[in-house]
Amino acid sequence: MFDQLFDAALFDSVVRAMIPILLAALGGMICERAGVFQIAMEGMMLSGAFAAVAGSYVAVYSGLGVVFAVGAGVLVSLMLAFGAVSRRGDPIVLGIALNLMAIGLTGFLLPQIFGVRGVFQHERIDGLDRLAIPVLSDIPWIGSVLFNQTILAYVAFLLVPILWLVLFRTPIGLRLRGVGERPLAAESLGVSPIAYKYGAVIASGVLSGLAGAQLALGNVVQFAENMSSGRGWVAVVAVMLGRAHPFAVFGASLLFAFAEGLGFRLQGNGLPVQITDALPFLVTLIALIAARKRFARLLDLTTGG
Amino acid sequence: MTRPLKILVLVLALAVVGVACGDSGDDATTTTAAPATTAATATTAAPTTTMAPEDPISLIYVTPNPMGVNSFLILGEVGTKRAAERHGGTWKTFESVDDTTRRANIEAAIDEAPDVVVLTTFTLTEMADEYSKANPDQQFILIDSCPDEPAPNLHCGVFREHEGAYLLGVMAGHLSEAKQIGSVVALDIPFFKRWWESFWVGAQSVDPSIENSAVFIAGDNPFSDPARAKELALSLAAQGPDHIFAVGAGSNGGVFEAAAEAGFVSYGVDINQCPEAPGHIVDNNMKLVDAVVDQLIEQVLAGTAGPMVDFGLAEGGTGVMALHPDLATSECLIADYPEIVAEVERVAAGIIDGSIVVNDPLFG
Repeated sequence: MFDQLFDAALFDSVVRAMIPILLAALGGMICERAGVFQIAMEGMMLSGAFAAVAGSYVAVYSGLGVVFAVGAGVLVSLMLAFGAVSRRGDPIVLGIALNLMAIGLTGFLLPQIFGVRGVFQHERIDGLDRLAIPVLSDIPWIGSVLFNQTILAYVAFLLVPILWLVLFRTPIGLRLRGVGERPLAAESLGVSPIAYKYGAVIASGVLSGLAGAQLALGNVVQFAENMSSGRGWVAVVAVMLGRAHPFAVFGASLLFAFAEGLGFRLQGNGLPVQITDALPFLVTLIALIAARKRFARLLDLTTGG
Repeated sequence: MTRPLKILVLVLALAVVGVACGDSGDDATTTTAAPATTAATATTAAPTTTMAPEDPISLIYVTPNPMGVNSFLILGEVGTKRAAERHGGTWKTFESVDDTTRRANIEAAIDEAPDVVVLTTFTLTEMADEYSKANPDQQFILIDSCPDEPAPNLHCGVFREHEGAYLLGVMAGHLSEAKQIGSVVALDIPFFKRWWESFWVGAQSVDPSIENSAVFIAGDNPFSDPARAKELALSLAAQGPDHIFAVGAGSNGGVFEAAAEAGFVSYGVDINQCPEAPGHIVDNNMKLVDAVVDQLIEQVLAGTAGPMVDFGLAEGGTGVMALHPDLATSECLIADYPEIVAEVERVAAGIIDGSIVVNDPLFG
């Protein structure tokens, strides 16, 4: 049975499911470090997915789709930054509002711009190509899975160590963490908390936009209404579970993606969908209980910031 | 004008503009922003006084959403138009975009007191129920759905989806080399057994040894999560099935992408989906809405329509591309297998004349 469960196709599927979650979660992590409780990744991802398809359709080139997706993510993130940072609004209320707005707005624009409802699929939409890295992609199993991905997947993988370096080994990372943990102390040292928080939220907009582009031009090549389908929320949990640490966030994203991929595979082996469908949530629940202490501390941080 | 009032006016103005933009602008189509009339006044405008015997019929078709390129809704208009033209009558289409415009359009339609008001899809089920009970003199048709206790003046046209799914199964039974088939289904509820179970039964009628597996999209958004459907389909295909039925509405595109990538073939639903992935879709379990609307209007005009009329192969209400006159241009794979098309024609004839019985999985 196990040789049926675990094969390269499963790991391929896990990696694909992970990339959008990981990209969004890394953005959420930066916000968390800057003391902004970010739950608008779902809406940013959905806006990014729509813009990616729109851009790719206009230019018949996926590159423009990625640019559009980043633009859409940044646009939503500016609304969040203005409300939560400049106007000191509640980031949770704002985040939920932005998520709802993204569903409504993309659902409204789809028929207005493309004349279809529900799903938009067209041969003009250029998907992201898979780039096989020579030599490395020839390694059995791992090679075909890890080194035969879209450019955005490589970006996501590389960002994990890069963000770790930036956060923990550079002055800018130190100041960012300072702004998140002790805003008054940071300010007294001449660091502007507002500038850093804006930067963090905009960075998460860029990354969530990329997550949307990966979802709509990489995982599939089409847009469907509300196609982010809760992946942004999974990213929120991945940030909490990973304690806003790049490698741990990576591990949490991998865990969720693996639970989903394994769930699909178990269904094919006859396990009822009601059980396999609950798998990612069971994992989330167990993980949240395990990370309870840290979760409480993060909430203190955000309300205190 | 106070500030909140200004904002309210602005929002209303934007809403009107939005409705106007939603109009597809077909020549024969009119979208009215309905004058708000109460149900009571519509009831008093009895159609009997205006209907001289030689009066041509009038029909109004109300869509739940803009038609755009939605084949299902477009076919509803085709059927309405065909029925009207045969009687030398008139027809109109009111396109809605949301609950507000749906109500406004249905009320506007009732106000004109046509012979029949045609409504489509489950989205309008509750309104069909409400307005038919409030307007007992107006005849209504609702396609592809039905309230629990329809009023005597509401006639539902529903489909026997299992017959078409059985025919797709026959194709898969002949074509599957792995002797394993599967389905990617939106939800694990009994209703969808009409698709995946009948597909399996059809395949087994060809070769009883054929194995089947059904997997379910579920999750947060089962009818519109192509990414999830694609992963499920890839995962299913990795376990052997080479013919996979996509029963996921807006998620189907993901299954078709998986088919193109992993080299299996797929089957679509409701309309001809073959052009979405040419060379990777064998055929579709189609709902021929135009034929159902047309026939049901005829039955209502003749006064013979029951509360719920079901349509299948025999009535031409459901079908597969293999039986369709446009098969050659359908981009469906089945067009390349004339001997299987002939076999499907034989089975379909058997279902129609009753020599082959396809059980409805909903009732055992």
